[in-house]
Amino acid sequence: MKRRSFLITAAAATLPGMALAHGPSRQKVTLTAEVAASPADVWAAIGNFQDMSWHPAVFSSTGEGDNDIDATRVLTLGAEGGPTISEILYKYSTEKMSYSYRITDVLVEVLPVTNYSSHLTVKPRDDGGAQIEWRGAFYRGYPNNDPPENLNDAAAIAAVSAVYQAGLDALVERFGAAAS
Amino acid sequence: MRLPLRLFLLIALAAGSPVAGDIAFVTCQNGDELSVLDLDRGAEVTRWSVPGKPAGVAVSPGAVFTVAADSKTVRRHAVDSGAVLAQTTLDGGPIGVVHDAARGRLFVSDWYNARIWVLADDTLALRQELTVGGAPAGLAVSDDGRYLASADRDADQVSIFDANTLELLHRIDVGTRPFGLRFAPEGRLFVGNVGTDDVSVVDPETGTVSNTVPVGARPYGVAFAAGRAFVTNQYEDTVSVVDLTTLKTVTKIDVGEYPEGIDVTADGSRIVVANWFENTVSIIDSNSLDVIEIIETCDGPRAFGVFLLGGRK
Repeated sequence: MKRRSFLITAAAATLPGMALAHGPSRQKVTLTAEVAASPADVWAAIGNFQDMSWHPAVFSSTGEGDNDIDATRVLTLGAEGGPTISEILYKYSTEKMSYSYRITDVLVEVLPVTNYSSHLTVKPRDDGGAQIEWRGAFYRGYPNNDPPENLNDAAAIAAVSAVYQAGLDALVERFGAAAS
Repeated sequence: MRLPLRLFLLIALAAGSPVAGDIAFVTCQNGDELSVLDLDRGAEVTRWSVPGKPAGVAVSPGAVFTVAADSKTVRRHAVDSGAVLAQTTLDGGPIGVVHDAARGRLFVSDWYNARIWVLADDTLALRQELTVGGAPAGLAVSDDGRYLASADRDADQVSIFDANTLELLHRIDVGTRPFGLRFAPEGRLFVGNVGTDDVSVVDPETGTVSNTVPVGARPYGVAFAAGRAFVTNQYEDTVSVVDLTTLKTVTKIDVGEYPEGIDVTADGSRIVVANWFENTVSIIDSNSLDVIEIIETCDGPRAFGVFLLGGRK
């Protein structure tokens, strides 16, 4: 019984654009990193929605629409033929050095979330260098009551935090930690 | 800082009506707290601990009710101190709540089991269950007390009951995924449809949709002031302002990130919006349509329901 409802969940998640049922509490994660490079340099590296090669988990990215609203991308994770995440851009500002996107399609086995949206922003630091802020809002992977442990709120927060941390760590390595 | 307001509240409540400033009771789902905000002073006055991921809220002169979704707990709090005067655990997914003070009833929607629980508002004892469509979320009672409405999200419909007899009057197809809803002062029901980014305007008497009004992305909550409807657009960080006569959008107001709960002060002069992601409320002047103040709150303000003391149902 349990297994069956899980399969239905996974199948529903593959229908793009469908407004899914979701759990009762939306979760949020905000992680930041401080680097030595200028905001402009950091934005040049991460500000293209069609290029996520700066993230170590991303093997490749294909997409349409450049950085226009409603542009899409499909990220392949790990290696060729790896799991994918489909995303759509809904806000983009060169001036604010920020873009916002939503996941339109991901299996909960890959990322245990639903109704996921995210913002990536580069800000100047007072003492020089840049701050990179990555924020996400999402529901857990299991839409029904009393979720199993691998699809509960804590699992969703842990998974998203791990993705953000890996990306931010790579940027700190690339651009150097900001002087504290 | 805190004592004078509590004293003030005690005095105002003892006098029978909160004569002066409006107070906001903002449920914070992520932080397991409730922020008490004094709108006249533009400041947070105190925080209550409300465990179990509270989202739903219903404020009346005599009580503040909260619904904690994860722990499935409904609580009745003292208005002045937040002390829990009664609580109950409901087997299901309690989320939305509305108080019918005149009849001593509290209605709570069950997100997972297509029903509304009818509780006694003093003891929170279960009196009755009403069957609705799948995934009921927002609840509202009309200002004249005639109707109870629920937004049945997964059924793409609204259920309307006689608030006195609790008889089902209408099941009405609206837009896709209705979540929040409220009755306008003149009696029409406004329903925000998350899936179709519009608002269905319903005549509760005939059970028909008279208009469908486009708003912004993911409309969540509706409130009314100065002859207009104000609708929070979760995915757009805006509030749509709709003229109640023409049903045309007057403007969109920029607010904080993920605006959700929305309510109006007793005199109709200000609209208050809870910004879920950034832990603030935006206060909008209902006439100038400017954001006049931003107040910080606890983490993850939802304020899903009537959350202003003196606010409209």
